[in-house]
Amino acid sequence: MPETMVQARGLVKTYRRKDGSTVEAVRNIDLDIYKGEIFSLLGPNGAGKSTTISMISGLIEPTAGDAQIARYSITKQPMEAKKLLGIVPQDIALYPTLSARQNLDFFGRMYGLGGAELHKRIDEVLDFIDLKERQKDRIDTFSGGMKRRVNIGVGLLHRPQLVYMDEPTVGIDPQNRRRILDTVFRLRDEQKMTVLYTTHLMEESQELSDRVGIIDHGKIIALGTVGELVQKVGEEDRLILKVGQQKIAAEVLERLKQVEQVTSALYDPPQQAAEGADEATDGVITVFAKRGRRALPDVIQIANDASIDVLSVEVREPDLEAVFLHLTGRALRD
Amino acid sequence: MRKILAIIWQALSIAYSDRNLLLIMLATPLALATIIGLAFGGTGSGDISIENIKIAIVNLDGVDENGANGQVFVDLLVPPAESAANSNANADTAATETSDDGGVVCGQTPDEDSSGRNVLFDLTDAVEMTDAAAARAAVDTGDLVAAIIIPADFSENLAYTQDDSTLDPTSIEVYGSSAALISSSVIRSITESIAYQIATGNIAIAATFDTLIERAFARPAFGLQFQSAAASFQPDFSCAFVPSFNPLRLEAQTVSGARVEFDPLVIFGASQAMFFMLFTAQGVATNVLEEQRTGTLQRLLVSPTTRLTVLIGKLLAAFINSLVQITLLFFAFSIVASLMRGEIRLIWGTHLPLVALTMIVASLSVAGLGVLLASLVRTPESAGTIGSMINMAMGVLGGAFFNVQAIPLLQPLTAFSLIYWGTDAFTKLSQGFTDIGLNLLILLVQGSVMFVAGLWLFNRRLKV
Repeated sequence: MPETMVQARGLVKTYRRKDGSTVEAVRNIDLDIYKGEIFSLLGPNGAGKSTTISMISGLIEPTAGDAQIARYSITKQPMEAKKLLGIVPQDIALYPTLSARQNLDFFGRMYGLGGAELHKRIDEVLDFIDLKERQKDRIDTFSGGMKRRVNIGVGLLHRPQLVYMDEPTVGIDPQNRRRILDTVFRLRDEQKMTVLYTTHLMEESQELSDRVGIIDHGKIIALGTVGELVQKVGEEDRLILKVGQQKIAAEVLERLKQVEQVTSALYDPPQQAAEGADEATDGVITVFAKRGRRALPDVIQIANDASIDVLSVEVREPDLEAVFLHLTGRALRD
Repeated sequence: MRKILAIIWQALSIAYSDRNLLLIMLATPLALATIIGLAFGGTGSGDISIENIKIAIVNLDGVDENGANGQVFVDLLVPPAESAANSNANADTAATETSDDGGVVCGQTPDEDSSGRNVLFDLTDAVEMTDAAAARAAVDTGDLVAAIIIPADFSENLAYTQDDSTLDPTSIEVYGSSAALISSSVIRSITESIAYQIATGNIAIAATFDTLIERAFARPAFGLQFQSAAASFQPDFSCAFVPSFNPLRLEAQTVSGARVEFDPLVIFGASQAMFFMLFTAQGVATNVLEEQRTGTLQRLLVSPTTRLTVLIGKLLAAFINSLVQITLLFFAFSIVASLMRGEIRLIWGTHLPLVALTMIVASLSVAGLGVLLASLVRTPESAGTIGSMINMAMGVLGGAFFNVQAIPLLQPLTAFSLIYWGTDAFTKLSQGFTDIGLNLLILLVQGSVMFVAGLWLFNRRLKV
């Protein structure tokens, strides 16, 4: 049995609305994260990822339950627990008018570092994030990717045993994204740290994670390695048909389910463009089939018979998105 | 402690690299100091004399064989009708005539030279009233600055007779307006001075009689002589209180005796300095809420640093900013005043340690307000809006824009303004008065209450 780094039991967070009613953001979550692993918490926006992590990191108090970091209770021994935890928030939580080194220096002091030890650690971290040459430049002169790297560096200064990274690749270019993902692997492999990683990107979670927890509506609905989770939905391919803004009748889905090799068919209707968004999303028919390519001609024929204008077709091997879709009946979207 | 120092250093580093904050903190008030200096510094001495303080004297003291000590106050402060109708130039003559009316004969007409002139007639615009409640009401409504109420048993308690050879305690009520602390305190001081004179005179009489009686018992021959003379012994001590003999002089003296002037630059400068300090302290709120928005506050709070440590660091940073600001402003006002008068002037008075202490207490107090504001509002924008409203209200009540004494309706509210208590303390110090204990206490209490309330509210937030 691997050593546990995080042990959450019965975590509940309830908020009271202005009208007096309550909303349960996190519902009785039990979670174990093992020492030295990369654990992804995967879920759509609003699923309860941030609230769960905020409780585990001591930022907000649980309504019920508790979490332990290396056996220190975050509610009863918060200072001890927080010393073991490094945080890399999704937003760039740095002082823009201070230099990279000044930011590292300040947050290092907040973790109790000082003197020669602090200077040494700052140099090590600057080396690690490859920003030693720009250490004296103000943060507001940095590119987005460089800011992200400093943001990560601050979370590593005090050599935490557990690093929590909240969607650290949001809004950055592929090159910097690759660099950050490599950094996550180095944290585990070189620094021997445990990484708790939240994301809504399936492929990222699939690539990084030793284990994955899928969270939706405040509950963990699946937990295990990627392989274990994929097994849960069977070795099924997915046929993904984009159908634009057309409405799909229930009879069409029933006909699709009758096709040989097909086990189920779901329809995700189009969504209107939100104010400020570029455009509306397309409606999607997802067909689960044991052999996707073999079922494809029949599926297209049924669509044609129903006068459905198919914009694109994609055949996908089993992955985490399929797991999420299978468990929740909807796609993982922003 | 190291974490608090780090938070202070970080907050100051950011503050002093923010041009907008520097503009609010230093440049604007310095420009204002120059403008105020030009406005008030070019008018010669720049003095504003304290005169014609509206007061009432309610003399309930009964006139009996023991004298009329209460009437002394009336004679000293209320000009007789003729004098009031003409000018103060013949006030001394009028006073003597009044004394005659009261049955006092002093044997000579006082000199009408400058030294014998009753300065109290210049200082006060006094009327005699008979109803104490009406006088207090007039003070409450702002028609009067103070009412001196002399009790019915005033003379009786101070009288020394063969039947009653003890002096009983008695008290005179000075009912002063809280909106005119300086004028009220002047009236209070004058009343005390006159009361001391009367008390001293009566104690002297009592001591004289005690000595004579003791000697009479010790030497029977003297006793017989004393007994026969005592019946006709009616010394008149009232002359001591006739204005021309009155030792009380109003010469704008400090406690140490150095002459000071009332400088309008002090009251306007102090109130404006306090006013701008509120905006600087408001920077705590903006800073905390901006950190909340960018996520650095959350980053601080998930580190092993308590919320109390964070808030104390922010409070002390605001305190230092405010202290730097008010110190620079006070220097600037002194320089402007010196330049305008062509001589080095310490317009804030000579009690520099007390001036420094008041600056420190005022800075702490406004920093407390900043912390409370940070906990009350949710965004930097609302901190700016609500903070400005609070600051403007404090400015109005504290007299930063106009004389609040002119609006009786606002007078009861002045006590809630940090600006009022700070400005009042600085004004007192500039005039040589050192009784600023109440001011400092109220500033400290207000600042502490606001900080504790701010901390409590900050902790109550579910999600920061």
